[in-house]
Amino acid sequence: MKMPNFTLSLSIQKHTLSNIQNWIERNALSLIVFVLTILSILLFLFYYLNGLGLAYNDARSHLDIGRRVVEGLKPGIAQLGSVWLPLPHVLMIPTIWIDIFWHSGLSGALVSMVSFVSMGVIIYLFLKSLGAGLLGRFFGVIVFVANLNILYLQSTAMTELLLMATMTIGCYYLLLWAKKEEVLYLIKSAFFIMLSTLTRYDGWFLFLFAALLVAVKVLIKHGFKISLGQLKEVYQETEGKLILFSTLAGFGIALWFLWNLVIFKDPLYFAFGPFSARTQQAQLEAAGELHTKYNIVLSTVLYLYALIYNSYAFTVILGLFGLIALWFSKIKTEIKVAAMALLAPLFFNVLALFLGHSVLFIQGISGNTWFNVRYGIMLLPAIAVFTGFLVDKLKNLRWTFIGLFAFTTFFAFSSGDSVAIDDARVGSSQKNVTEVSGWLSRNAKDRTGFILISAASHDAIIFSSGLPMKKFIHEGTGAYWESATTAPDRWARWIVMRTHDDNDLVWKDVSRSEGFKKYILVDSYPFADIYELDEKYLGDLNTGPTFGKQK
Amino acid sequence: MKIIKKIFKPVFFILFLLFTVSILALSIRGVYGNPTTETLNSLYFKDDGPLELSPEKGRFALIYSLIEDKSFHFSLPVAKTVTPDLGYQDGKYVSLFDPGVSIIAAPGYIIGKYFNVSQFGSFAVIALFALANALLIMGVAKKLGANGIASSLAGLVFLFGTPAFAYAVTLYQHHVTVFLMLLSIFLLVKYKGILPLFFVWILVVGSLIADYPNFFLFLPIGIYALGRVFPIEDIDNRVKLNIKILGLISFITILIPVSLFLWVHKVSYGDPLQLAGTVRSVKDFDVDGSPLFREDLLRREGKVLEAETLNKGKTPIGFFKTRNFIKGLYLHLVSDERGILVFTPVLLLSLIGIYYSYVKIPKVTALLLALIGMNIAVYSMWGDPWGGWAFGSRYLIPSYALLSIFVAFTLTKFRGRGLVLILFLVLAAYSISVSTLGALTSNKIPPKVEAVALEPISGKKEHYTYLRNWEFLSNNGSKSFVFQTFGKDYVTARQYFFMVVGSIIIVMTGQIIYLYLTARKDPPSRKATEGERI
Repeated sequence: MKMPNFTLSLSIQKHTLSNIQNWIERNALSLIVFVLTILSILLFLFYYLNGLGLAYNDARSHLDIGRRVVEGLKPGIAQLGSVWLPLPHVLMIPTIWIDIFWHSGLSGALVSMVSFVSMGVIIYLFLKSLGAGLLGRFFGVIVFVANLNILYLQSTAMTELLLMATMTIGCYYLLLWAKKEEVLYLIKSAFFIMLSTLTRYDGWFLFLFAALLVAVKVLIKHGFKISLGQLKEVYQETEGKLILFSTLAGFGIALWFLWNLVIFKDPLYFAFGPFSARTQQAQLEAAGELHTKYNIVLSTVLYLYALIYNSYAFTVILGLFGLIALWFSKIKTEIKVAAMALLAPLFFNVLALFLGHSVLFIQGISGNTWFNVRYGIMLLPAIAVFTGFLVDKLKNLRWTFIGLFAFTTFFAFSSGDSVAIDDARVGSSQKNVTEVSGWLSRNAKDRTGFILISAASHDAIIFSSGLPMKKFIHEGTGAYWESATTAPDRWARWIVMRTHDDNDLVWKDVSRSEGFKKYILVDSYPFADIYELDEKYLGDLNTGPTFGKQK
Repeated sequence: MKIIKKIFKPVFFILFLLFTVSILALSIRGVYGNPTTETLNSLYFKDDGPLELSPEKGRFALIYSLIEDKSFHFSLPVAKTVTPDLGYQDGKYVSLFDPGVSIIAAPGYIIGKYFNVSQFGSFAVIALFALANALLIMGVAKKLGANGIASSLAGLVFLFGTPAFAYAVTLYQHHVTVFLMLLSIFLLVKYKGILPLFFVWILVVGSLIADYPNFFLFLPIGIYALGRVFPIEDIDNRVKLNIKILGLISFITILIPVSLFLWVHKVSYGDPLQLAGTVRSVKDFDVDGSPLFREDLLRREGKVLEAETLNKGKTPIGFFKTRNFIKGLYLHLVSDERGILVFTPVLLLSLIGIYYSYVKIPKVTALLLALIGMNIAVYSMWGDPWGGWAFGSRYLIPSYALLSIFVAFTLTKFRGRGLVLILFLVLAAYSISVSTLGALTSNKIPPKVEAVALEPISGKKEHYTYLRNWEFLSNNGSKSFVFQTFGKDYVTARQYFFMVVGSIIIVMTGQIIYLYLTARKDPPSRKATEGERI
């Protein structure tokens, strides 16, 4: 079937194209940093202005922890406490003293935002190290960025992005070490994994997982068929590499034990103390809510759902294909094994659920609410890398994959599909304390006197009240706390607590005291009740920080 | 030998046609008589008859209105047959289903009416599309390099071995969609250059009149075809981007379906851009015949809808949510309610074919996979992945057709391997039995959640898989027109079912034996076939 051939043509010299490609390649990282920085700032503003930026109860608590280090009745580094690992709060310290940085959440969000931009860079570099072309690398970055859960979490003071960044950078250097055998990379990997161990306990698992991969990598290098004579040599090399890696990577863990010993007189205080996750999980177990404990199927199913809901189902499928493509590619086995470090969060989370160290609710499976569903986002860096790799390798199918990804992602955005936001808005991770904090803001702001409150139970109220930290007497205020819980009428003008709930430390201590009889219940709210000292006893009340600097 | 082969080809084709037409004729659902406004709402035509569910009810009602009342709007008696899937726009009752299928099937109604079987005539039009689809699968598979017999087997697998069979004998849009899709692919793989684009644009845009989600489903074809308008050439030390002027001119043909689309919607809904699914829906009628909407019914129950819910208009993209994806995927692929694994496992063999096809013709394979991926993605995100009460996953019928093409590749590759062919036969026999069961009985299979809720009301076990069809058949039930009109005096429904299934399996077995024998005689050649050059 012949048709007349009317054609307009536009020719480009191949070297011109090559120059353009080289320019992009040279400037790719700057481009990623620039675009992601702009995006990050815009998204922060968007979520700040619509009020979602501080929707997570935990985000407010993280900000308060950072703030207590620099301001309060007993400021100091010890305020970092033992509930959460310290790195996210330490990184807030340079900015958290500025009120707007504290109350807008920017102090914590900044850490997440920098981590977000770093993630874009590291995914690009990771794919480059795996031999992926420009398109595959950029696509990997897009897979990571075009996700509402990530875009939301990077705008908050949550710890996910920092953890992801430290873990992924650690994995990246592990990959480089496996590829180039330069010990400096192993040290860099250990350093970033150490940082991740100081961010969340997921990092501790990565430390062990990566150590195992280091050993496996050395064994693979020598081959599995080794003579008895070589065995000693291999053992020594493995031992040497493991010691080198573990000394630095495990340093953060050792520091944490030491911290707990020095501050709380028990190296395992973080694990078994009254504010530990274990104690919280025990309460959930007693209430019959810890369904995943010793149930490997449910643990796996729940985590996979969290993973799919966070990363979007089609992207997860692409990632799975990418993983298969990577595993069966011609890349050296040592490198493939090192890349598997990216999968550590999958094993960690399933194991943590199985052992009852973690709790995760998926709406429709575990009741009608969400809780901690954002844990599923931790696999997104792996998915982004594997998907980028897939798109690079299957050249004829790449536009099919990219097209379908764009199509499903469009609907993810058009339907506002973010489980992380749902959990923060209507799930168990939210805590709408506006009524009680509003009361404090209206009635305590311009009046002298302290507020006695348990930070362990009501950090969100402290944050949302907008009052300075030094207005509050909480568990971390040393002598003030001890005095106020013994003789509240001498120290606290207001008491905020959950009446008849012994899990609230203020109620537990104060309700049995003689001074509590001098208080009047002024208001009751879903999360706490407010008591105010009868005006006739105000004369005996301390209203200033009389203890001075405490140790 | 050459002469025998020359004679065999047309004979085989005629036999193939006769066989498929016969099976389809034996299976088309229907009852004798032309429905009237009085009988349209009767059990004879509705629950006990061929108009069992709202899609066929709504579409048939529109044909009825078009022919009998010369209007795109329903009269009150016709409107009452259509509820609860009835629209209301500018004081008129309108269809909530895209009008394309009703317009296409109208000639069948007119011819059928002459023989006092207007409903059967309307349904037969869809069966003709299904037949055309089987032939197109044959044609595309052959053109891409699959063996001729393997290609015809692929056509039969699609037609009788997937839930597509159950929708070939009633009034749904799916076979029309598949026809437009396969014809576009056929034109693109058969003819090079720009000329086919003049038709492809008509088909791609015209598909919107049959079913709105086709906008997404046909996107890969549109993009693939665009590649011919803007071909890129790699010549020595430069890359050349060509713009085919004729290709640009070919876009003009889009005006034909666009005009038709706008006109149909203007006369149906008063607004050329108003989509059927976004029209306000009528849920019931008041005693005086005035329409009752959702909020009216809730008000009567003493419930009040929040203003936000009331004001929330329906938007075309609002039907798709990524949150539904995993549940939808499970339902479409593996669940016993609708899954491919349960209803048509023979298609699993297509996975092998995909690999060989990708190696051989990567670009066309990428197009076919994009279409399958788009189909699965669209309907996995859809709010109701079950497709309401339905037999199998009706939304995946386009994918069944495309996967059948890959089955042809599997059979071509393994045509000399007896074990693979036996496996194919076993899976095909199972799939054909299940699909024929659906075609000869009913599509009224509730989702599991509804079946479970029905049990306390009905006081019996409510099946939500093809066991419900088996139960229906065992009670001597079949909605086949031929069975209802002529057969039921001579055979039971079950005997009728076994006759139909048996015929299909025997014919396919014969084809497989022939395929095997010819492969043994003439082993697969390493010579490049036509498909490899695409």
